[in-house]
Amino acid sequence: MRAVVFESVCEVRVTDVPDAAIEEPGDAVVRVTRTAICGSDLHFFHGKAPIDPGDVLGHEAVGIVKAVGTGVERFSPGDRVVVAFNIACGACWFCRRGEMQLCDDFRNLGAGAFGGSLAGAQATHVRVPTADVNLLRIPDEVDDERALFVGDILTTGLYAASIAEIEPGSVVAVVGCGPVGFFCIQAARAIGAGQVFAIDLEPGRLELAASVGAVPVNARERHPVSALAEATDGRGADVVLEAVGSPSAYESALGMVRRGGRVVVVGVYAGESVEMQLGVYWARALTIRFSGICPVHAWWERAMDEVIAGRVDPSPLISHRLPLEEAAHGYALFDRREATKVVLMP
Amino acid sequence: MAKFPTDPWFQEFIAAINRSERYREVAATWEGDVAFRIEAEPDKGVPTTVWGFLDLWHGECRGGGVVDEERGAASTYVISAPYSRWREVLEGDLDPIRGMMQGKLRVQGDLPTIIRYVSAANELVHLTGTVDTQFPDGD
Repeated sequence: MRAVVFESVCEVRVTDVPDAAIEEPGDAVVRVTRTAICGSDLHFFHGKAPIDPGDVLGHEAVGIVKAVGTGVERFSPGDRVVVAFNIACGACWFCRRGEMQLCDDFRNLGAGAFGGSLAGAQATHVRVPTADVNLLRIPDEVDDERALFVGDILTTGLYAASIAEIEPGSVVAVVGCGPVGFFCIQAARAIGAGQVFAIDLEPGRLELAASVGAVPVNARERHPVSALAEATDGRGADVVLEAVGSPSAYESALGMVRRGGRVVVVGVYAGESVEMQLGVYWARALTIRFSGICPVHAWWERAMDEVIAGRVDPSPLISHRLPLEEAAHGYALFDRREATKVVLMP
Repeated sequence: MAKFPTDPWFQEFIAAINRSERYREVAATWEGDVAFRIEAEPDKGVPTTVWGFLDLWHGECRGGGVVDEERGAASTYVISAPYSRWREVLEGDLDPIRGMMQGKLRVQGDLPTIIRYVSAANELVHLTGTVDTQFPDGD
């Protein structure tokens, strides 16, 4: 089969790899019809996360079940499915609570040894362990591209907005209008936010945010803290969703939120640190929640409902559709931020 | 009339501090230089972030003015806010200590020490009001 593999830093190639096959009774093999390049794939692309040359990349995919192991009960060959980006066991204490992102056997597709050495989904086929847990059937009325992001970024945005407990009419700020921020905006609006302010530095991303109903704030032109203060009689946003993952974005989020407000940090952090005035946080009665990785399995049915209802529309996000064989070009476009989202078609 | 936040404005402010008997009294034991980080608001006429620096020591200001980021960031205390928040402070619409506790003015350095000098902080704010100030975004 054909697959996108890591070659070296900032270099991927499409090559022949061993066919995906049933290895455990709970496995399914999915013929991939659409897969995408995610921001987290760039961590591997840039060599910032460990992966070996020849490892298959990618974790966002939809497709048709081609084969199932003897232990798979919920799916059969021919089923159209979306794949969860994180692979959970479904049986441990955390999974039974719906916190699959904390699974004792947490794994990621296409993340090398870091993700449990599972081959990725940027391929003609992908093996999905514990398929009964890690696949979701796609309703007939939803096409592949609208379902694709339910396995990752769309549901992550919905999750972040949901745990922020947005009340009807709330003023929400979304810091960072990349793919996750884009879905945070739509989810916040779907939940009932009054105004949603979209904060970014890139005009293209802000245009996209505005197209789904956000008030764009280009932080190069207008201070976001002042923009939120001016919109709220000086108070600040009720809720801020930080979808960047940098100390400056985090501190900016804290500057935008009102006293008693909530900040949900959905941006990804690793070794960064910030100085915290704990007394100020305490006096402001802030709720700060780090979302961690999205427990996509617990939220993807709700996410699919939002797609079906049209309250969350992934379509505007896709800037490029390329054959799988042109994946290297897709990575280059995405890396240079010349693409908002690249979908690969095996 | 001096335009805020420029070096001439800070020089007038420093002169006002050193003329103030009240400040000399309430800040007699204060030790520590302070940088005011006035964050850019291009739409309000402040295209780049400005660092204002005051070398405050035992009730007087030994010098200061607009400095570069490297010098400003090395100060014992750094107080940061968007330009428009600073304007609120200067116009008496935002109490500086309350602003710090509410996170409207972000403090790097030992916040409890600053708060103990509430009278000195208030006098500094009062003194800004004695500087004939022009704001870049008008009245």
